[in-house]
Amino acid sequence: MKVLVLAERPGAAEELCAGARAMGADEVALVAFGDMEMPPSCADLIYRVTVPEGLSLDNATATVNAIFDHVRPDVVLVEPTRHMRILAGALAFHGGTSAIADVMELDGDVASSMYYGGAAILKRKPGKTAIYLMQPGAFGDSVAASGANQEEPFAWVDPGATVKVLSSEPIEKSGVDLQKADVVVAAGRGFGLESDLDMARALCDKLEAGLGCTRPLAEDMKWLPRETYIGVSGLMLAPKVYVAAGLSGQMQHMVGCDRAGTIFAINKDADAAVFDQCDYGIVGDIQTVLPLLVNEL
Amino acid sequence: MRIVVAVKILPDSKDLRAGNDGALDFSHARNVVSEYDLNAIEAAAQLAASQEGSTVKVLSVGPASIDESKVKKNILSRGVDELYFATNDALEHADARATAQALSLALQDVGGWDVVICGDGSDDFYAKQVDAQLAATLNVPCVNGATLLQAGDGCIVVERVLEDVVETVEVPLPAVISVQPSVAVPRTPSMKDILAAGKKPMHVAPLDVASEETVEWVECKVPEPTPRKKQICHVSDEGAIASFAASLKAAL
Repeated sequence: MKVLVLAERPGAAEELCAGARAMGADEVALVAFGDMEMPPSCADLIYRVTVPEGLSLDNATATVNAIFDHVRPDVVLVEPTRHMRILAGALAFHGGTSAIADVMELDGDVASSMYYGGAAILKRKPGKTAIYLMQPGAFGDSVAASGANQEEPFAWVDPGATVKVLSSEPIEKSGVDLQKADVVVAAGRGFGLESDLDMARALCDKLEAGLGCTRPLAEDMKWLPRETYIGVSGLMLAPKVYVAAGLSGQMQHMVGCDRAGTIFAINKDADAAVFDQCDYGIVGDIQTVLPLLVNEL
Repeated sequence: MRIVVAVKILPDSKDLRAGNDGALDFSHARNVVSEYDLNAIEAAAQLAASQEGSTVKVLSVGPASIDESKVKKNILSRGVDELYFATNDALEHADARATAQALSLALQDVGGWDVVICGDGSDDFYAKQVDAQLAATLNVPCVNGATLLQAGDGCIVVERVLEDVVETVEVPLPAVISVQPSVAVPRTPSMKDILAAGKKPMHVAPLDVASEETVEWVECKVPEPTPRKKQICHVSDEGAIASFAASLKAAL
């Protein structure tokens, strides 16, 4: 079986190439863009694509389609970044199919993804061309990547009208990587004022936790960085301990913490949905509970 | 600028229940505009307002059941000039390719356009793939993740927040652009907007499209939620905080 991997970051490239081996691939080819550093022993073949100066990575559609035609893979595994989603969509069109997105698990060729934000799990099989956008961690880490990393430059193919990059500024990350945090405190709309978040921060200090939030706090109120909101379209976490503070427990949020070891909930509304989905809950206003709790810890 | 917003009409996710057979029960769910498509409509309305003489048309493809008066008025009360629904029951579970093909066909009836704006992803699949497939079908450039749109001369300047960088790009028109929810907060239509919406042009017509599902559904089931202890107490209960804190420490 031949697998083609599309990834723009080395970590994902290595993970997907390892995943290809776990699927039983005897040939793994990777498309590498620009000067992306290659993890050692990652793939058999690396097709190096140099995007012309001033053009965005989205313009690589025709080039990736040409690599696909050259390699003729059985399966394409794709890192689910914004750029790669465009290349995957264009490739799927080229291959006469749809990419199966945000795959959490692959069992043979049957891919599991969330449907309606996790309200159901959808299992699907690809048609003649299998293109999967893989969620991080979907393959586990049982098999390591391997291969001679033989590099072959691949000529740029003109995509027609082009998207030009005017500027590219690195995003200053908030510091805590919630994906790696053992303990996460999540704040919701129960926090009426931005300054109330200091109570959550005090709890984080006690628990050595990362502070996350529901979508409205990041997107609407903009009190916390957007990369810290948890749930559909945001982070999917599996920490040891999850403290849901002042959030109601909407399905769209809770799918993002369903894999947590132990869930604690604080909400003034005894009927809040979060109390049906937690291990330990305390009914009370965060204004009352958080200072008492910080004091007790 | 002639703007078309491609939206999905689907059952409201807030009304979904788990059926006895482990399947999703849609019987209590009414049709709504997919949540993030409202942000796309608002972004289009704001972009149109920034350039005199612009038009905003909303296009949706789906089964005949999407043709509901309330849904149409909701769309047309949001700064939208005209609405086009192209229906075919074969589109009930359409994947990205089938949706993009139906949209590209239906676009021919909408007339000339400069840009198609899509939402971030639909409530059901949230695959973020229709934008790219549609652009490929139409053979125009595609940019996703837009957080700011600015009309330029024959182009749109897009700011997009990606995973590690904020990229500002110049997109030549015609093009397909998909927007993140933060691009614009959907307006709350006034009663006057809703009344005026009923008088705007609505074009609803069947779409002759060969259903071409390329991905096979094997199973769709409501997952068993992770079992939880559900030990709930009230803050005023004696020792509530102490016992909550003790459980917290024990779990670390």
